[in-house]
Amino acid sequence: MALVDLLLVVGVIAGVYSLLAIGMNMHWGDTGLLNFAHAAFFAVGAYTSAILTTPPATGDLATRVVGFDFPIVVGLLAGTALAGLVGVLIAVTSVRLEGDYLAMVTLSSAELIRLMIHNEAWLTTGAQTLKNIPRPLSGVVPVSYDIFYFVLVWTIVGVCYLLFTRLSHSPFGRVLHAIRENDDVPLALGKNITVFKLKSFGIGAAIAGLAGGLWAHYVYAISSIMFLPSITFLIWAAVIIGGAGSYAGAVVGASVIVFLRQITRFIPGDVPFGDQLAYIRLMVVGAVLILVLYYRPEGLLGDAERLQAGTSE
Amino acid sequence: MVLDPQLVWNGLVVGSIIAVSALGLTLIFGILNFINIAYGDYMAAGAYVAWAVNAQVGLPLGVAIVAGILTMSVGAVVLDKIVFQHFRTRSPITLLIVSIGLAFIIRNLIRAIWGPSGHFYDLPMEANPSFLGVRFSVEQVAIMVVSILLLLGVYALLRRTRIGIAMRAASDDRMLSRIRGVDTEKLVLYVWLIGGAIAGLGGIMLGLDAQLRPNMGFTALIPIFAAVILGGIGDPKGAVAGGYTIGVAQEVSVAVIPSEYKFGVGLVALIVGLLTRPDGLFGEATR
Repeated sequence: MALVDLLLVVGVIAGVYSLLAIGMNMHWGDTGLLNFAHAAFFAVGAYTSAILTTPPATGDLATRVVGFDFPIVVGLLAGTALAGLVGVLIAVTSVRLEGDYLAMVTLSSAELIRLMIHNEAWLTTGAQTLKNIPRPLSGVVPVSYDIFYFVLVWTIVGVCYLLFTRLSHSPFGRVLHAIRENDDVPLALGKNITVFKLKSFGIGAAIAGLAGGLWAHYVYAISSIMFLPSITFLIWAAVIIGGAGSYAGAVVGASVIVFLRQITRFIPGDVPFGDQLAYIRLMVVGAVLILVLYYRPEGLLGDAERLQAGTSE
Repeated sequence: MVLDPQLVWNGLVVGSIIAVSALGLTLIFGILNFINIAYGDYMAAGAYVAWAVNAQVGLPLGVAIVAGILTMSVGAVVLDKIVFQHFRTRSPITLLIVSIGLAFIIRNLIRAIWGPSGHFYDLPMEANPSFLGVRFSVEQVAIMVVSILLLLGVYALLRRTRIGIAMRAASDDRMLSRIRGVDTEKLVLYVWLIGGAIAGLGGIMLGLDAQLRPNMGFTALIPIFAAVILGGIGDPKGAVAGGYTIGVAQEVSVAVIPSEYKFGVGLVALIVGLLTRPDGLFGEATR
């Protein structure tokens, strides 16, 4: 594959991860909520869109009896909405908990959702791969499909970036920031902070769901092992490295991490430690995360003033 | 419903592993006040070092186990000096995120050195004996005995030794214990030595009961968290009780729910536990 094609593939992945990081930045950067369920929102979006846009499986070994063959737009929108709903549902039970407790409950909820995806074969094909997910406008686009999808994904990233930046500076966003700094102040002003936290959780989760849909329709086939908690941790690393509280930082952080991971593809296999490169890249991600936290805790593009927020015990 | 003794036995074995691991995690939390996401990877590292000494070097399993435990004990202290020490004054959330980075490093180091696929300890093949209709393996009996000995040992340490009493004091009220002259840095050193050793042991037990995988510790982390939280975060006695509760509940649940969902029991226990008794089984409101 030519270098340009590879770069396009990496670019599409970076776009999807950027959307995930934008959602996470709404939770942690703007509101100070420790969400460790992001992989689950990603999965809900991917599976919802996939199930809605494919027919039920046929044949003797078919396990999945549910499928709708709807247009892709329907799938993407429904995936976004359902992921947002799941986000709100998880948050309803847990959003009143203190920081690290919230982290534990959301992490567990995410694993519970993955367990269900893994086992409810009638709906999700279970442990097997859900295949033949249609690609939007496949065969119609006049340019190479990767170029088309790259532009599509990054257009959506651009729109989301503008939308979330504006939201962050709107009265709504300012209440979220106040919650992040100190729960008591917005409470004293008569704001229902629980409702604001639920909205923040729902919106951020919905964007993760949209990312999931875009991912599913790009890769044709999805399986439950794509949505391990390690995705959530990678997105955390992206937001922290980019700079919590900054949406530009979220996009940059996600792109840096994706390129760090995927750059392995550009290196020939016969270099020393060629087989281990994939693992070494992830070790580098871990090291970069720790170094950024030490030398530049506000991240690449983050605001140093935000640092004090959401960290009270 | 009649309880199947086999399921109860399985639950006690799994519970022993969770109880031991949860004890280490809760001790570290009690003194350092942050959730160490890399703890599961400490467990895996201990298990792999023991496997390397056992299967690759060819030494007896007993020697390998001691080597694995010692490596993680010293390893935890070294990692503290290299990483966590520099973040001592930062918020617990920062430390949690730092531990995510460390988890990436350890897990992928294991993958890079020993490969992504599974391994087994070099154990003599024996037919599993059965007693009163319960089939068990020698390793399972060893796991139970060792875990009970360890739990008693740690209990004695916390109750009878100066360092143990200092640990409990610092865990209760860090500020007050510092004012009363407890050397916090020395305490931190001991906590990592003990917590790291327990993590290594927990990982080895996990590997003895099933197989070794690079993400074995991380996968085990959720039931361990569930045990810690159910028992009241930072409370050693509670962590042990929580561990056995989760282990038995998880295995016995197989009688009524599909076995694929048994891992969900720990998750649900964690969520329900947090929502109903956020201060743990024996807890009083501390946070």
